[in-house]
Amino acid sequence: MHSRRPAKAGRYVHIPGAGYLLIVLLLVFAIFGEGFATLPNVLNIGVQGSVLLLLALPMTLIIMSEGLDLSMGAVLSLAGVVLATMLMNGHSLSVGLAAAAGVGLAFGVANGALVVTLGLPPFVATLGTLGIAQGLALVQTGGQSVVGIGDALPALYESRIAGVPFSIAIALAAFLVFWLTLSRTRVGSYVSALGGNREALSLAGVHVDLFHIGLYAAGGLMSGLAALLLTGRMSAGHPTAAIGLEFDAVAAVIVGGTSFEGGQGTLFGTLIGVLTIGVLRNGLNVLSVPSSLQVASIGVLVIAALIIDSTIAALGRPAGGRA
Amino acid sequence: MRTVAYRLVAVALIAAGLALTTEAFFTLPNILNILRQASLTFLIASGLTLTILTAGLDLSVGANVGLSACVAATVMKSSGSIAIGAATGLAFGAVVGMLNGLMVTVLKLPPFIATYGMLWTLNGLTYWFMAGETIHGFSPAFRTLGSGYWLGIPVPIYVMAAFLAAGSILTRYTTFGHEVYAIGANREAARLSGIPVRARLNLVYTLSGAMAGLAAIVYVARLNSAEADIGEALTLPAIAAVLIGGTSLFGGVGSLTGTLVGALTLTLVVNGMNLRAVDANWQPLVTGAIVLLAVWIDVVTRQRAEARV
Amino acid sequence: MRAISKTFPGVRALDDVSLSVDAGTVHVLLGQNGAGKSTLMRILCGAHHPDAGEILVDGRPVQLKSPADARRLGIAVIFQEFSLVPYLNLAQNIFLGREPGGRIPGSIDHRRMHAEARRLLDGLGLDVDTRTLAHELGVAQQQVVEIAKALSQNARILVMDEPTAALSDREIARLFDRIRALKQHGVAIVYISHRLQEISEIGDRITVLRDGKNVASLTPAETSVNDLVRLMVGRQVTTTWRERFCETPGDVVLEVRDMHADSGVRAAALDVKAGEVVGLAGLVGAGRTELARAIFGADRVVSGTVRVAGRPLARGPAAPVDAVRAGVALVPENRKTEGLALMRSVQDNVLVAGLRTLFPAGWYRAAKAARAAADVISRLRIATPSPARLVRFLSGGNQQKVVVGKWLTAGSRLFIFDEPTRGIDVGAKAELYGVIDRLVAGGAAVLMISSELPELVAVCDRAYVMRDRMIVGELKRRGSSNDVLSEENILRMAMHHA
Repeated sequence: MHSRRPAKAGRYVHIPGAGYLLIVLLLVFAIFGEGFATLPNVLNIGVQGSVLLLLALPMTLIIMSEGLDLSMGAVLSLAGVVLATMLMNGHSLSVGLAAAAGVGLAFGVANGALVVTLGLPPFVATLGTLGIAQGLALVQTGGQSVVGIGDALPALYESRIAGVPFSIAIALAAFLVFWLTLSRTRVGSYVSALGGNREALSLAGVHVDLFHIGLYAAGGLMSGLAALLLTGRMSAGHPTAAIGLEFDAVAAVIVGGTSFEGGQGTLFGTLIGVLTIGVLRNGLNVLSVPSSLQVASIGVLVIAALIIDSTIAALGRPAGGRA
Repeated sequence: MRTVAYRLVAVALIAAGLALTTEAFFTLPNILNILRQASLTFLIASGLTLTILTAGLDLSVGANVGLSACVAATVMKSSGSIAIGAATGLAFGAVVGMLNGLMVTVLKLPPFIATYGMLWTLNGLTYWFMAGETIHGFSPAFRTLGSGYWLGIPVPIYVMAAFLAAGSILTRYTTFGHEVYAIGANREAARLSGIPVRARLNLVYTLSGAMAGLAAIVYVARLNSAEADIGEALTLPAIAAVLIGGTSLFGGVGSLTGTLVGALTLTLVVNGMNLRAVDANWQPLVTGAIVLLAVWIDVVTRQRAEARV
Repeated sequence: MRAISKTFPGVRALDDVSLSVDAGTVHVLLGQNGAGKSTLMRILCGAHHPDAGEILVDGRPVQLKSPADARRLGIAVIFQEFSLVPYLNLAQNIFLGREPGGRIPGSIDHRRMHAEARRLLDGLGLDVDTRTLAHELGVAQQQVVEIAKALSQNARILVMDEPTAALSDREIARLFDRIRALKQHGVAIVYISHRLQEISEIGDRITVLRDGKNVASLTPAETSVNDLVRLMVGRQVTTTWRERFCETPGDVVLEVRDMHADSGVRAAALDVKAGEVVGLAGLVGAGRTELARAIFGADRVVSGTVRVAGRPLARGPAAPVDAVRAGVALVPENRKTEGLALMRSVQDNVLVAGLRTLFPAGWYRAAKAARAAADVISRLRIATPSPARLVRFLSGGNQQKVVVGKWLTAGSRLFIFDEPTRGIDVGAKAELYGVIDRLVAGGAAVLMISSELPELVAVCDRAYVMRDRMIVGELKRRGSSNDVLSEENILRMAMHHA
């Protein structure tokens, strides 16, 4: 009767969903879109999606801990401006990147402090830091792009590693790092526990608050590092370059199956979510749908994913009752 | 009401400070301008106040204003009738609000996420709808609604006063208003006291949307144009106004009068920055910092209150 | 544990209690709600500090400053609310925070972790893959994982709090097998339960607590179920707080037939008539609150009928609205989280349920509101400097009066009280009984949930007893020795695992 059951597919319920959606979209666009199913275009999707993946990875962890970081887009823009400015002033790429990462990390730690230490609701706290990051970027640049960053970064961006475009390689490397950390170290268990049963984690003797702040710090750090790809792609730093990208990141995480409650999440799902959104945008582009409508459709996608998420949760809930 | 009085004192202090240090501040045109601007912010923030009173939130108000404005302007031009256009804009805003309400009550989505998704959806739809164009050139009669004067006072102030009055009556002198406060203070206790929580929440979000629609019309009248980016910069100041005014994100505490004072405070600060030729790019930063400060005060107040229970 | 005493504000929770447990034995801890069992156990696991007395492990005195200290000494407690993380697998849950390290610093040796987990679960006879996620398991299986977690921390003293509350008979049998296996390994077990039948089966020694004192310590062979019940109840003089009991009840106000609720609670037949105070007795977990909530509509009713004054109540998410309109009032167990808006004034709280009745057109008139509120405040003698005072500043007793008061303006005729006098001082209690008395004298019907046996016997005209989420019996004021309303009968019916 009680034989050794293999792990149920319960955790993977959403992945097939998003995966199927991705396949459907790929087919639809391949059939109806001229030039969609070509190698250059597919690479283009990957390149466009790499920045998004860098943001969506830490966002997955933050959402798993029942939080949110709306400031990522603004912080990324700011970091991009910082990087471009450093390059324009003649500093080396490593110094510039370190500065950008530092800015991102600072905002990440600030977010963590606001949410965990002061107890501010995450969406409002990060909305506030969004404004501050955005303001700093605008003030620093006067609303203009920072150009003249030299050739080193654009050359790096255009290069290939083992035949794979630079940005895709970086994104995949980041995914690998996150995935290994989550599956091979305690970090994975702790993140799920943060959202699933925080008391269990503190009873287990873990420094819960520090760990929680660390998640937001990671988000900020990744936003800073992503400036490498963003500035490389644009060959410039612009204060509003990545505004709204956090929305795509949240969308990718939700579509990929990570839930807002309970500590349930999947990085692989986020990867599929990023691809889905990338394919959606690219495909709609190929079909000449204006980018504004693309954003709207992503919004609808998020709401649909949330509805599916809550419906599944409601169905799975056993007959309630208190002790 | 005592806390509103304190905030009014703060407003007076800021005003006094500005009057003493900045030449162009204490002139009639500037004061009227401040009041006009504060009224516009108030219109958007008033519906938002209702949703925050229920311990919820409507992040999509700005985008709602944007899309409703564009829809209203389009209908005004195509039908030739201001009234029909205005009615359409209002109805549109209300429908958006209603959808938000349904997401919160029926689908039980957390308000900030549901309205955040709605924000981007509306944003995208607005840009698509306008296709890069601008609608402008409205009749002078209509434009007085936004930029005109009546008895020497900007018209939007009258609109603001009317809605402050109506809103205050709604919150303080109707059972609906009291139920809203009860829901915000303790949703479960309200439900267990026989209050139809879902119905009330739906109405609150619909009203929030309707107010956004109304604000949209006044904005179009003021700007004499409608284009896709009208609503973008409106959400953060609206939230700031509500929070500065003393309405708590945790629900059950706050008032429309407070929101007005909050709108005044924010407008004063921005006005001060403008008069002193501070780069306009500082504004989002300052607004963001103010929001953080206001939320922090809210959280600390709450923590202290709960510690004494 | 020797001569442990602990006093909380206003209550002497434990008075010179001693308890000793030998290795490889099961020591059962019995006592009513509030007798001091949980306080004693919380001291043992390091969550509370005793005011007096000492704890000795292996004959040596120890200091337990925190739960971590207790765990290090090998003391593990399994509460009813489990501490598992839903989306982690079993091995991860068992070793949370203590994962075995791999070769690369920072990594986890998954193979070793799962192998260890497998070994622990096999030892307890749970044949489920260690890669299963915690939320996929049933309650009984989660409990086994909890035990495995405790064992993995080398627990030598295991405290189990109501372990069989949510288990089926078969699962209980398997749990007992595991407990016997643990005994053979020398683990000392403290077993808290109300199920008298099980106690003789699994217990080696029994200690009974009453009112914070250790009143008996014996072996199952030395005693019987009836003896235990008598020890738990003690000899009480019942004083009555009622003016007179209900001789001729009025019409049926509440009629429940064949009701089955979403929470699993069932009620075949339950009536409350006008002028009566009907009690609802049972142990914690018997389902009394769930029954009350189902009647009120706060929880979903799946089948059956609930009629108030002859009219069936509506179902669905807005069911409480209909219940209130029909005249049902609910004074919940958790007044702070479910009955009051702490940040609002006394006046606002007192009027919230009666808004529709006072102002049918929807216009709130301040003068009328103030008068109605003042009326309620004086009728219930709520001690507050002004109606505008925020409810959170009131004492527990007065807060409870506010909760009751909000129904006075709503014109309710059926009052459901859930533990109305919990956490209230004696004076306020007496006042509350007076309030209940006046309510029924005025023709209302009262259904009262209480865990205090003397209260039930002194205040109620009749009482239903619940066990395992069902009504198992009815006791009346006048009846034979077996079904008369007495503390012993209540306890017997509530505990007997037939």
